[in-house]
Amino acid sequence: MSSSLAEAPDLICQLDSVQGVVDSLTAVRWKRHQDAVIEISEHGIVLIVEETTCLQAKVYLKRELFVKYEYGAEGRPRFGVSLGLFVDCLNTFCVPSRSNSIEIRYPGPDMQLLLKSIDSSNSCIYADIRTRIPETVSWDYNFEPAGNPLNFTVKSAALKEAIDDLEWPGSSILLTLQPTPPSVIFKGEGHGDLQIDLMYYSNTGLLLAFNCDRLVSHRYKYKFLRATTSNIPSSVIRENRGSKLSIGRGGMLKVQHLFSVARPSLPHPHIDTASYQQPSRIAYIEFFVKPEINEEAANDVN
Amino acid sequence: MKFKGFLTDNGVYLLEKRILHALEKTGKIWHIYITETHLSFLHNLLNGDGIQSVAQFRKQALFDEYRFSSQNDAIAFSIDLSLLQRALRSIIATAGTDDGNKYEMKLVKKLAPHSHQALPFLTFETQGYKSAVIQDVPISKPLSRPDLLELQTALQTAQVIPTCLVQLSDMNQLQSFVDRMKHVGDALNVSISKYGDLHLQISTTLITLGAEFRKLLVLGEKADMPVGDGDSTAQTRMQRAVLRGDATSVQVSVKHFFKSLQCHLAKPDCAYFGIVNQGSCLTVIFDFFIPGTRLRDNAISLYCRLPVLDPGSS
Repeated sequence: MSSSLAEAPDLICQLDSVQGVVDSLTAVRWKRHQDAVIEISEHGIVLIVEETTCLQAKVYLKRELFVKYEYGAEGRPRFGVSLGLFVDCLNTFCVPSRSNSIEIRYPGPDMQLLLKSIDSSNSCIYADIRTRIPETVSWDYNFEPAGNPLNFTVKSAALKEAIDDLEWPGSSILLTLQPTPPSVIFKGEGHGDLQIDLMYYSNTGLLLAFNCDRLVSHRYKYKFLRATTSNIPSSVIRENRGSKLSIGRGGMLKVQHLFSVARPSLPHPHIDTASYQQPSRIAYIEFFVKPEINEEAANDVN
Repeated sequence: MKFKGFLTDNGVYLLEKRILHALEKTGKIWHIYITETHLSFLHNLLNGDGIQSVAQFRKQALFDEYRFSSQNDAIAFSIDLSLLQRALRSIIATAGTDDGNKYEMKLVKKLAPHSHQALPFLTFETQGYKSAVIQDVPISKPLSRPDLLELQTALQTAQVIPTCLVQLSDMNQLQSFVDRMKHVGDALNVSISKYGDLHLQISTTLITLGAEFRKLLVLGEKADMPVGDGDSTAQTRMQRAVLRGDATSVQVSVKHFFKSLQCHLAKPDCAYFGIVNQGSCLTVIFDFFIPGTRLRDNAISLYCRLPVLDPGSS
């Protein structure tokens, strides 16, 4: 295939765990038809999805995740794809109980994203995905800390459960971080009231870290808050790593998840897998949620 | 018109645990077609569109006693497969695990409750340790002579074997692939070459997704792949083979294709794919081996025919 191309493509990379990438991308798939922008650089691949300038999600697939990563472009090529189609397509490469090594190449002769399986000489799966020129330059969700860091880390499963439980009260959720007693409070007000307190001292297994030196409180639309956890595949939730939530300037909420992209339970030829988790084989997922504009909650309450 | 037989243990298990389980995924209503030598399950044979399926058994594969008589050389009626499955499950449970159980299967006419008219049933009777259980499965009236003839003609057409068949033994892989692939598009291009290549492809305006299985065993017309073709991409390779006349390509519905693969639930030992008459339909044949051997069991045949989509309609 490379012979038909006049010059080297911008990117040729190989991946030996498609499932991990499918999981990571599924986590940011909060509706059926979503346009995503993919940005390639020498550091890896970033996929960005946005919703009406209130919610943005980024999936970072660092080059360390790839078995091979050959970057030959200048600048940072960006292109648009349909996220649903991309995930469904990648998913076809995941054949259970087999290793799924694939090669990703960009661009093809017609600017497509080309994928093909490379683990068997007698069977091959391939895909050409049509790419688009991204319509808008995605608005950068500049996350700046407001003074001392305000953040907490919570078990992902507990976070998801808390947010799921907040569904019934209504459309707006007040998130409060307070230093005394150190706790995180989710409060839903609407059809009814529901308050979920995560106390740092009473349950150390729940809040893994807590940084807060002043009371801060912001409102977020429930549907956006929900999008940050609702699509995480159950296999990842079962792994139950921590999710980190930070509040930045203007009340911007950042939710970070870490997904393992290592090949599951397949013996690695060189390294003992029993207690082994390569730190570099982690996909980073970040959500940025803007707060609701509301007089009482717009400013930090001190 | 009479039919009565005693199913063997193996016959009942073959039907209940394997065959019906798979057939049920293809469709609910089937014809049972009984002749002097065979008992068959036929689905959708009288219908032009949709997937057609045939499961045919030599009487020895299911029965140890088999009595059949009809003026038309055959009896056919339609039956709800889920009811048949429930009846078989029940008689298996009644008979227990001992060997040598007798499972009687016969056609009867009975007065149904709240009815003054005798209705046809397929009846199963089995003797348990202390009890006997009779299951009456309601069936349609036997097909009239013209309908029967139509069904027989359709069955003969369905039995046409493609001139070139490729064998696939790893059905799990194919099934999971097609299962995932069906999210991407509706129409599937299936190409089969005399070199032993099976190529599946979905192509829409946004995506082309395909899979190629190479170096498969070929039955029927074979050809050697021209030198140099092995290095090109799956798509080019198949296009060249079609141009040379060494491959045929058809477009079928992904849903039909996936349904046909559900026959895998009957645990066949391998599957063959072939295209009949230069592209009139795609045939998938599932083969069973005689237990403990690699020899084809001729007593059972299971196959599907998938209608070809009009290329203009996709």
